[in-house]
Amino acid sequence: MDTKKNKFLSNKGFVLFSILALIVVLVAIFAPVLSGGVDPTAGNLADAIMAPDAKHIFGTDKMGRDIFARVLYGARISLASTFALVLTVFVIGTALGVLAGYFGGWVDAVIMRIADMMIAFPGLVLAIAVAGMLGASMRNAIIAIALVTWPKYARMARSLVLKVRHTDYVYAAIVTGSSTWRMLWKYMLPNTITTLVITAATDIGGMMMELAALSFLGFGAQPPTPEWGSMLSEGRDFIQSAPWLMLYPGLAIFITVVIFNMLGDNLRDILDPKEE
Amino acid sequence: MKKLSKKSAALLVAGLVTCGLLAGCGGGDKKDAPKDGGKAAAKTLVFGCQMYADGGIDPSAQTNTAWNCSRFGVGQTLFRFDDNVKPVPQLAESATPSDGNKTWTFKLKKGIKFSNGTEMTATKVKEYLDWIREAGKKGSTRPQQFLDFEAVVTADDAAGTVTIKSKKAYPNMAASLADPSMVILDVKGSKDMKNGAIGTGPYMVKSFKNQVGYEMVANPHYWNGKVPYDQVNIMFMGDASAKANALRAGQIDLAENIMNVADLKGLQADKKFTVQIAPGTRCGFSWMNMKQGRPLANKALRQAVLKAIDYKTICKSNTIGGLYTPGPSVIPSSLGYGFDKLKNPYEYDPEGAKKILDEAGIKDTNGDGIRELNGQNIQLRYISYANRLLNDFSDAHTQYLKAVGIGVKSEYGSSDDQWSKLVAGEYDFNNNNWNSMIAGAPTVYMGNWYSKAEANYCGFKSDTYDKAYEELLTTMDTKRYGELMQTLQQTLIDEAAVLVDGYYNSCIIYNNDKVGSAHMYPLDYYWITDEIKPAGAK
Repeated sequence: MDTKKNKFLSNKGFVLFSILALIVVLVAIFAPVLSGGVDPTAGNLADAIMAPDAKHIFGTDKMGRDIFARVLYGARISLASTFALVLTVFVIGTALGVLAGYFGGWVDAVIMRIADMMIAFPGLVLAIAVAGMLGASMRNAIIAIALVTWPKYARMARSLVLKVRHTDYVYAAIVTGSSTWRMLWKYMLPNTITTLVITAATDIGGMMMELAALSFLGFGAQPPTPEWGSMLSEGRDFIQSAPWLMLYPGLAIFITVVIFNMLGDNLRDILDPKEE
Repeated sequence: MKKLSKKSAALLVAGLVTCGLLAGCGGGDKKDAPKDGGKAAAKTLVFGCQMYADGGIDPSAQTNTAWNCSRFGVGQTLFRFDDNVKPVPQLAESATPSDGNKTWTFKLKKGIKFSNGTEMTATKVKEYLDWIREAGKKGSTRPQQFLDFEAVVTADDAAGTVTIKSKKAYPNMAASLADPSMVILDVKGSKDMKNGAIGTGPYMVKSFKNQVGYEMVANPHYWNGKVPYDQVNIMFMGDASAKANALRAGQIDLAENIMNVADLKGLQADKKFTVQIAPGTRCGFSWMNMKQGRPLANKALRQAVLKAIDYKTICKSNTIGGLYTPGPSVIPSSLGYGFDKLKNPYEYDPEGAKKILDEAGIKDTNGDGIRELNGQNIQLRYISYANRLLNDFSDAHTQYLKAVGIGVKSEYGSSDDQWSKLVAGEYDFNNNNWNSMIAGAPTVYMGNWYSKAEANYCGFKSDTYDKAYEELLTTMDTKRYGELMQTLQQTLIDEAAVLVDGYYNSCIIYNNDKVGSAHMYPLDYYWITDEIKPAGAK
């Protein structure tokens, strides 16, 4: 245990990006304080599309809203929805994959064929179609991306379970009377969890981008919700005349995605023995 | 060594791919450039425009398809509207009323042919007028607004006249028949009415690609001189910036209604482009759903809504950039229907709005910033779509309403979504931009609030309004018409029936290297016409 703790702490990259990720999370939590109490959805049309100045350090948007406050509050929406999405696909995908791998037979066939069907479509295109059918909202965007992402986790969990499903110690546990629930919980799941946690960690950045993409296209957050993807979309008409409308939410996405991608990579370096 | 080779190979492949991509970005112009130094290209016009109703041109299907047929230069009407919104002869040379304006005789111009070479006889005109009224029953065009179902059309081919007898009097049937649904098409000759209707316009459909656009070619039988372009490619592009960038990149030569202030100002400042803005007949407004059970059935809430919004600041803002003129009436101030005499009790006054709500018992009792109506937080459903800055207006309204404690949930989608939700009554606010001078007069448009009209999508009912509107339908007296119009407008204002965005100006933008002249009419029924000529053409 000590060795493992040291492994985490001795990886400078992991420590650095953990601190940065923590800062991003703190920014999201303390957005009302950091923005000085400015309401991100309140603005004055008389101040619309103003360049950055002392009063509005990131400038104002089309509705005269403070972009700095919107970027800070946008971290809340983006992080919360991304974590919700990753957690959803992690839980659903892992559960279905473990069930498919352990029981095999028709359970495996049904789950995996459904997964194959989902994988057969281009991910974002299917997500756009699903979000379009469900209606534009952040919740529906999460559902749409979850629907096209869970097969990845299910297939991975299934393959990891299959690696151990027919080993002697598993048969021994069954013979000694372990219940199915215990088999799944104590023997199958622990064999998959490390790899899947690494996958989930490295997926955070990508998922954030996909959610921002759906919002950019109008299928995610709806106005006046401050969300980075929809802010980019609102600002794109003004990319030449008022670039600050896109610059700051764009930078926010870029920085956050880089931090979580690097954090995931470093976590993989620590946890995945093949990389050592 | 082995590793190094792999790395080198990877770098080489990456380099080649990058070079390939960069090569793909450039050089397109040379490849596409005509070999004759540009002379052939000058005869092709590429037009970027919003796609309405999937680009169909069957006038019987929807109002927008009828407009497409006229806008794309396929169909023409007996009369058309000029810059003063007055009907002037087009396919007909005159219109003569008799029998107290119940009978109208149209004398057709001689020598007019459809694009398939068939002569446009009086019988052909009768065929079309009979067909549109029958086929129109299945669609949403409602041609009976312009020519009633019972009107009898008779054709005299020898005299070249079409006589229409109706039981009701028409103040000006020439104006009614100038509506795009009354474009004269060769009904029997049009094998594909949806995307290949045969008309008398300067251009005819060569091919149609769903969601992409049309390839049109010059009508070889055109009646009004030589058609300026050999080919017109119509490209559907709803996004204002896409249109602006396509113009700058030379991908299109002409665009309608770039409603992005930043882009429009940029194009106005660029000598390479001409921007024509016409004071329009259009009004941007949000329907307020007053049907029973809807929150906005509450008049105090509607009054507060109107008082809570700063219309002047919105229209002057950098976002709207003066492309709309504020005003309380649904009829644009420039059209002269007594706008100056109207009284508006709902000028911007947020404190007044709060007072109205408080007095009506619409208060925020749980302290969440949103007031409650009948024990529930007010959450009004705002439907809007990305056209003519409507979403920006909707966002601005939402912001102002929130400031007085009225919650709004935005739902932005396509124009079809907006329309279907309007018709189904699934909205509280529904933002759109309508032409107020259908058939050259506001009669049809004002029917949107007449309680017995099919087009009354908001459940508005006022005896004063109904009485005045019924008289408006029958009066032949111009002075009385003006008085009634004033009554109708004032009633809508007093009843807080409509949330008016403002009065909109249409625009058309073209590349001076490709287009020599174009013209934008106040009524935007006409986009592609024989008045659009290549640069250098006389």
